[in-house]
Amino acid sequence: MAGPLTEDRIAAYIATRLDGASDVSVSGLRRIVGGASRETYRLKLRYVDAAGGVIERPLILRRDPPASLIDTKRDVEFAAYRAFYGSAVPVPEMLWLEEDPGPLDFPFFIAEELVGFESSPTGLLNPPYSDKAETIGQRKWSILGEISKADPLALGLDRLMEVPSPDGCWKRELAYWEAEIDKDELEPQPIIRAAIRWLKRNPPPPAQKISVVHGDFRSGNFLYDKEGEIHGILDWEMAHLGDPLEDLGWGLNRIWCWGGDDRRGGLLPRERAIDIWETASGLKADPAALHWWELFNCVKGQGIWVSSAKAWMDGENRDPILIFSAWRMLNAQDRAALELMGKL
Amino acid sequence: MTPDTRSIITDLAGRMAMVFAPDLKSPYMAGSAGLTAAVLMMVAEEGDRTAHRLVEENRAIRAILTSAATADPPADLAARIRTLAAGGDDDLHVSALQAANNELRAALSDLQAHVETRADAAAKTLNAAIWSELVASTGRRAFSNMGF
Repeated sequence: MAGPLTEDRIAAYIATRLDGASDVSVSGLRRIVGGASRETYRLKLRYVDAAGGVIERPLILRRDPPASLIDTKRDVEFAAYRAFYGSAVPVPEMLWLEEDPGPLDFPFFIAEELVGFESSPTGLLNPPYSDKAETIGQRKWSILGEISKADPLALGLDRLMEVPSPDGCWKRELAYWEAEIDKDELEPQPIIRAAIRWLKRNPPPPAQKISVVHGDFRSGNFLYDKEGEIHGILDWEMAHLGDPLEDLGWGLNRIWCWGGDDRRGGLLPRERAIDIWETASGLKADPAALHWWELFNCVKGQGIWVSSAKAWMDGENRDPILIFSAWRMLNAQDRAALELMGKL
Repeated sequence: MTPDTRSIITDLAGRMAMVFAPDLKSPYMAGSAGLTAAVLMMVAEEGDRTAHRLVEENRAIRAILTSAATADPPADLAARIRTLAAGGDDDLHVSALQAANNELRAALSDLQAHVETRADAAAKTLNAAIWSELVASTGRRAFSNMGF
């Protein structure tokens, strides 16, 4: 049976991973909001290193919950962060991955905490951040361009992630998310079923390259400051290899238009975001292909939202975010699909 | 009964967001309380309208299903549609209305899959009516002040 997550338990674990360290302690353990698939905690690590120096470091611990919105592999998320550490794509440093549930009852990983930045998607709509929307938007879509441009084989990610064929990306992704909806839907979803049928009848062209796909690249999953700089891309839990237009389509999804207008992610209009991404990635967003991936992302979103409803109804996870997802997000996702199909 | 459910839940949600949440020391608990308040606001809105939107929607779908014979659906689907179209909402409990709605929307989806790729006028007319109803269904489920 799982016991409480305590500072002493975490310190005991870290002590086993730090060569030559002594007096290892953890303080300030606090759960924070962060990511939908794992519990996220903030803590401060203190220890004496082999040279006798006192080291203090703010850290983040991400632990598997009993039930999640989405089923993801923590080793893949960990590897994706590590692959981009120190690159043009800002990410926090990953420190330890623990697959054994023994130390803290569930698998987890520990990373550096990037301190002092904002992540709220709705925070972008108001001053002082709204005054920097152009700058933040430029950085956001440029960084996605860098992710799309990267060579996943050179990053070594093919060791953990399946490498699809360019013409197999769409089939794999659509099949996966349709199966998620089949498995988890608690009531009929006629709009998204119509979208799935359309996507099957009108397949996209093969991917122009196989890219790293972040999987959840949107406002809310990066850390920003008042000057408009982005300091960390977070939540790589759905990372995989595939068509780079998948990520672009997810970020452009209308459900992230919290301001109610065309500013995607509350920052820049759709066409401007695409221009920035194309320039940064050196790739092309063919309009018909991008349309397919935008509609596909409505299916993916609905897969997540119906799974949220099921997780809540099953009683495995009663976080109120799941109700919000099951009601607001699911309906907004239907409206996004209707808009893309020219019905709204 | 007065005060009504919507007023009560809306007030409690406001208290949670504006009075209780700001006093919580844990950022996670404060955030969770704020989110709970937002969900309660949605519950207040949905609770007031659920029966109305389900009755309205069930009635609209039955009307479409009643006209479905013109599109010549396969025998098993046609029989299912006839049964559903002849039904009604005598039991106004939300659970009963929702169960009927699930059956009706599933049949509507199957009917659309049957007609959506056909070029004949009957199928096109029916498909347009189904799309119109699906658009209306998202309007019935939309919440106030929630962006897109």
